[in-house]
Amino acid sequence: MADHSSQAQTFAGQVRAIPGGEHLEMCYSCGTCVSKCMIQQKVEPEYNPRRLLHMVMMDMREEAFKSPTTWLCSACDLCYPACPQEIHISGVIGAVKQLAVEAGYESPLDAVSVEETLCSGCGICVMTCPYEAPHLVEKEVDGVMDRLSEVDANACMGCGICVAACPMGAISRPGVSNAEVKAQISVPKSNGAPRMVAFVCDWSLRADADVALLESYPENVRVIHIPCTGRIDPEMALLALHSEIDGVLICGCAPGECHYKRGTVVSSCKIGLLNRVLEQMHVGDGRVRFVQIGTQDRGRIRREVDSMLDHLAAWKEAE
Amino acid sequence: MAKAKPKLAFYWAASCGGCEITITELGMQLIATGEKVDIVFWPCLMDFKYSDVEALEDGEIDVCFFNGAIRSSENEHVAHLLRQKSKVLVSFGACSHTGGIPGLANFYDAESILERVYDTAPSVDDSRGTRPTPSVEMPEGTIEIPTFYDQVLTLDQTVDVDYFMPGCPPVADQVWNVFQTILKGGLPERRATIGADAKTNCDVCPREKGEGGFRVKEWKRPHEVELDPDVCFLAQGVICCGPATRAGCGLPCISGNMPCRGCYGPPDGVVDQGAKLFSAIGALIDTDEPEAVQQIMDTVVDPAGLSYRFGLADSLLSELKYGKNSEEGEG
Repeated sequence: MADHSSQAQTFAGQVRAIPGGEHLEMCYSCGTCVSKCMIQQKVEPEYNPRRLLHMVMMDMREEAFKSPTTWLCSACDLCYPACPQEIHISGVIGAVKQLAVEAGYESPLDAVSVEETLCSGCGICVMTCPYEAPHLVEKEVDGVMDRLSEVDANACMGCGICVAACPMGAISRPGVSNAEVKAQISVPKSNGAPRMVAFVCDWSLRADADVALLESYPENVRVIHIPCTGRIDPEMALLALHSEIDGVLICGCAPGECHYKRGTVVSSCKIGLLNRVLEQMHVGDGRVRFVQIGTQDRGRIRREVDSMLDHLAAWKEAE
Repeated sequence: MAKAKPKLAFYWAASCGGCEITITELGMQLIATGEKVDIVFWPCLMDFKYSDVEALEDGEIDVCFFNGAIRSSENEHVAHLLRQKSKVLVSFGACSHTGGIPGLANFYDAESILERVYDTAPSVDDSRGTRPTPSVEMPEGTIEIPTFYDQVLTLDQTVDVDYFMPGCPPVADQVWNVFQTILKGGLPERRATIGADAKTNCDVCPREKGEGGFRVKEWKRPHEVELDPDVCFLAQGVICCGPATRAGCGLPCISGNMPCRGCYGPPDGVVDQGAKLFSAIGALIDTDEPEAVQQIMDTVVDPAGLSYRFGLADSLLSELKYGKNSEEGEG
């Protein structure tokens, strides 16, 4: 192992020695990063990169390793352009996480798991993962050597991009497995109002009012929460249309603001391909729509849902 | 008393004849098999009439191998007839299993296909406007030909199928294996896919994916690249249907340095092979720039034809266009 694991070095010295950790000491604790952080706002009030960096400099090794900040950062890098010292904060946090893993700590996040009897070792998950969590390994299953995907649970952030990418449906994550998401794709019959499914990335809505709005829709608008639009598999949109739901709206983060780095880009490519396929079959009619909501787009979700419902009402009328 | 020989039947509906060729590829093995079975119907090789089948008792045929999609009233009629007369009905080959190449006609309706073929194709010169006419009155009486359907259906969308044997065509080795299984007994549970593996082609493909993995900035078609025979097609920026296609063919295309076209259909558990394929293709995109997404996506030529080359008739896409087949199939 590299010399950063040597006990002789200070914690800060070890962090600095890991690529990404070198800018540690430039932090003067202004807290701008905290104000930009979606994790702090949405899931973990204790989340605080500023404090974590301070812990490292104060040699508070155990506290840093136990801190949720070490484990929850998805390297979305919303804080990076805001930092007046231009510290790549996720790089520093990544260095702390690497040391934590070496010290035997484990990620508290729900990682994905691979069903070995299904995995064909195509490696699509390996190629698409933003965190290099899956790897192809040679492994013995039922006495036969096979090439399979294996996931490093400490690297996995649980975004589900690989779950959607796997052509065998061999990967799942608690809460957002294929079966669990598909089970939610249903909208009761309505008296003429368009029926719509909205897959909404939990990170794309910044304002509490926007999140609350989603709960206020009547039952013809079924909101399905997903960790990232990268989790959307075009088969789900097809299944929704197939079960006579009029339209599918997919809401994700704006490019460059995706909480899981690649989700928005991957999803917009997939949904773009889906729409081309639907057009080729003459069944498109704009019934599947992908919108990318920026950090500054407060209130936009209302307009997007309304616009989609209007579009679907007009489509139904024309049918 | 000597055990009666099993009675077999073979039929072709909307198909190219390749499924028959794959059976004749068995050569001497086929002749040996022929001694152990009674072939009661095989329009391609032997002189039987539909009336011969009609004369059989219900369930008298032990196993019927039915290839070809359901494209016309004749195809549908024979499918019902053979279902009635067969104990075991095997959907044989891609056309029967998932619609195959004829299923691509579901991109169009019957009228526009007929217009193209009988009218606007450059090679057609017919001032009389000839079209197939299902029923014509002649002095001798009414002459009828089968009706051409608006939608290509799979066999299973038309009648209840017992087993599925994928492939365009099913490779001869697998046909032989299935014949042996039938003769010895030991077919799996009804509705299983036979003569194929459970996982996808990537499971058995020997091509290298490279240490560091790969993502793709531009998709190219096979003729635009000099393909390395040892490297994964996707890593070379060429779309291969292998990740979304059931294994079992023995990789003849991939060994011939051409990417998998997907003829063995989806593996178990996958509803829509095409959607799974372009989901995987989309996942490989290599960019962080929103403007580049469109650019990279545009390099995928004919995404529907590529993803649904053999599976269009069996896809959610076809059901979206024509309505659910459970309501339509039995017609």
